Amino acid sequence: MLHLMKYDVKVKLHNFNRMFWPLLFPLILATLFYFAFGKMDEADFETVPVAVVEETNSSGEKTFLDFLYTVEKDKSKLIKTEVMGEKQAVKALKSGKVSGIYYAGEKLSLTVSGVGIKESILQSLLESYENGKNTIENIAVNHPEGIQSASEQMSDYRDMVKQVSLGGKTTDQTAQFFYALIAMACLYGCFSGYGTALYLQANLTALAARKCVTPTHKLKLILSEMLTSFFMHFVDIVILLIYLRYVLGMDFRGDIPRMLLVSFIGSMIGVSMGIFISSIGKTREGAKIGILLGISMVCSFLAGLMVSDMKDIVERYCPIINRINPAALIADAFYCINVYDDPARFWRSLAILTVMSVLLTLGSFFMVRRERYDSI
Amino acid sequence: MIQIENLVKRYGELLALDHLNLEIEEGEIFGLLGPNGSGKTTAINCMLALLKYDKGTVRIFGEEMSPDNYKVKQQIGIVLQNVAVFDELTVYENIDYFCGLYVKDKKERKKLVDEAIHFAGLEEYTKMRPKKLSGGLLRRLNIACGIAHKPRLIIMDEPTVAVDPQSRNRILEGIKELNRQGSTVIYTSHYMEEVEQICTRIAVIDHGRSVAVGTKEELKSMIKTGETITVESVALSDGQIAAVGALPHVFDVKYKEQVLKVRCTRGKHNLMRILSYLQEEEISFGRVFSELPTLNDVFLEITGKELRD
Repeated sequence: MLHLMKYDVKVKLHNFNRMFWPLLFPLILATLFYFAFGKMDEADFETVPVAVVEETNSSGEKTFLDFLYTVEKDKSKLIKTEVMGEKQAVKALKSGKVSGIYYAGEKLSLTVSGVGIKESILQSLLESYENGKNTIENIAVNHPEGIQSASEQMSDYRDMVKQVSLGGKTTDQTAQFFYALIAMACLYGCFSGYGTALYLQANLTALAARKCVTPTHKLKLILSEMLTSFFMHFVDIVILLIYLRYVLGMDFRGDIPRMLLVSFIGSMIGVSMGIFISSIGKTREGAKIGILLGISMVCSFLAGLMVSDMKDIVERYCPIINRINPAALIADAFYCINVYDDPARFWRSLAILTVMSVLLTLGSFFMVRRERYDSI
Repeated sequence: MIQIENLVKRYGELLALDHLNLEIEEGEIFGLLGPNGSGKTTAINCMLALLKYDKGTVRIFGEEMSPDNYKVKQQIGIVLQNVAVFDELTVYENIDYFCGLYVKDKKERKKLVDEAIHFAGLEEYTKMRPKKLSGGLLRRLNIACGIAHKPRLIIMDEPTVAVDPQSRNRILEGIKELNRQGSTVIYTSHYMEEVEQICTRIAVIDHGRSVAVGTKEELKSMIKTGETITVESVALSDGQIAAVGALPHVFDVKYKEQVLKVRCTRGKHNLMRILSYLQEEEISFGRVFSELPTLNDVFLEITGKELRD
C-alpha cells in the first residue's frame, strides 16, 4: 500500500492539470482579487472635497464648522473643506472641484450635484451632526447636569463606532468573494478526481487496464488513489488558506479547526465529484473536462464568486439552490465561522456537505470498483 | 496451460468473438495472427478477465480466469498495444511501480527492475521521463514494465506497432530470450513476418474465429499454393494469359500493370515451364522471381482476402 501511495503522490505532483487547476489557479485568482478589491477599497475612502458657505455668524454655525474641522483632521481624512462664497462654491460644484456645498446658517443644508458614495458620505456627516445636536439639546433640557459628560463622550463617537457583525467579527465586504473562491478551489478537486478515474478504470486508459490485471487487489488500488487525491487536495486548500491569511492578509476571525473541517469535506466533494463524472461512460476527455469545469464554475458563480450579491439573490428567489449547491454551502460555512456566530446555520451547512460528500464518495467508489467491462 | 472454449463476445449487433477455441501449451510462443478488427485484442481482454463475454470459458494454469483470481494474475505479465506507462514517472520509477504490484520484497524488486532495464537496453535512460524517449525506446519501456516480475505467461498485444526496424528486431529477439528463460508467450500481430519469425505455433484469426492453427509449416501445407511466380515488365494478350493459366500446376493467374503473378500447386519445374512458354512466344520480360507460400497466402486461401487489407 505504501508503495502505491508513494508513487500515486509522485504522479500527482508531476501532473500539470492536477497541480494547476486545484492549487495554482485559485492562488492566482486570489491574488487578482486582492489587487482588484484593494483598489476598490482605496477608491471608497478617497477624501471628499466639500465647499462650506458661511451664511451667518451664529453659535450653531460655529459648532458645525468645528465638527467639520474635527472630521477633516481625523486620520481617516474623510473630507477636505474649503470656505467659499456662494457663487464660487456653486461654480466649484459645477466644475466638479467639490462634491458638495454645506450651507452653514441658522438651518444647515447640503447641496450636491449627483448621487454616489462621496455624496452619501457628505449626507451621512450632516445627519450625524444633526442627530448629535438633537441629542445634546434633549439632554440639556431633561438632564442639564450631564451635559458636559455627554458632550465629551459624543466628541469621541467616531472612535467608539465600528461596523461589526452580529457575532462581533469582521464584515469585510470583500470577504465573501474569497469564501466563494475557497469553495471554488474545493470543487476544483474534481480535476484531481478526473485523473484518479483515468488511473482506475480499465475502459478509460491502457494504464488503468494494466493496473487492473495485476495481482494487487482492486480495493487497494482504489483506496490508494482516493486517499492520496483527498489528502493532496486538502493540502491544496490548506495552502490556499495560509496564502490568504499570511500573504494577502485576509482577516480570518473564526476558529481554525472548524475551517479545516469544512475544507476537508469540501475537498472530498470536489474529488469524488470528479471521479464520479469521469467514470460515467466513454465520453471524450475534452467533454468530461468541460462538464467538470462547467459544474464547478456555475456552482461558484451562484455562490458569489463573480457577483457578490448572487448568493443573496438566489436565497431570495430560489433558496433550495443554496441548500444543494456545494460551493454556496462551503462559502456559507466559512461565513458562519468568520462573520456571524450562527452555530445552527453552520452545522446545517456542514451536515448537508457531509451527506453530499458521503454520497459522492460512495458513488465514485462503486463506479471505479467494476472489474469487468462491456467494452474497452 | 491455457484453454479457451467456445468464447463468444458481442458488441451490440457485432459478433467480435465467434465461438473461439484455443489451446496453448507451456513453453510455446503462440501467435495470434489476423488483420485489424479480427478479434485478437478482444480475445486477449477476455482472457485477462477485463471484458465481459457472452459465452464460453477461459482457463489459465488449470483455473478458471476471473477478475479476482489473483493467484493466476500473479503469474501473468502483459504488454498492451497502447503504451501504458506514467508520463510523470521516470523510466526506473515506472518499472519499479509495475514490478511492485507483483513483488512486495524491496530487495528482490530492485534486482528484478535492474534486470528488466538491462533486458530492454534502457540503462542510459533510467532517469528520463517517457515523453523524452523515442517511439522504439518507449515500446521497450512498455515491455520492461510488463515482464520485470518474470512472469510464467507473457501476453503481448502488438508490441511492435509504430516501431523502427532496429527496435523491432531487438524486441523480437528479446521475446525469444524470454521464452528461452521459461516464459510462455502469447503474441498477437498483424505483421505475418514477425509471427513467422518468432512463433512456434500460430492461430489464424478472422471475424473472431480461429480459422487455422498449427506451426507455420503445418499452416502452409494446409493450402494449395506451393509457389508464387512473379514476372515483371511483361506485355501479354488475353490469349497468352489464358495459355499461362492452362499450364500444368498453375491454378491462378493475375495480370496487372505489366506484372504477371502465377500461383502454382506444389510441383517441380513450375518456373521453367513458364519461362519456356514466354520464350516460345518470344515475349520479352524483366525481373522474374519465385516465392514459397507465406502466411499471407495461407490467410488468402482460407479467408479469401489479403492479411494486409
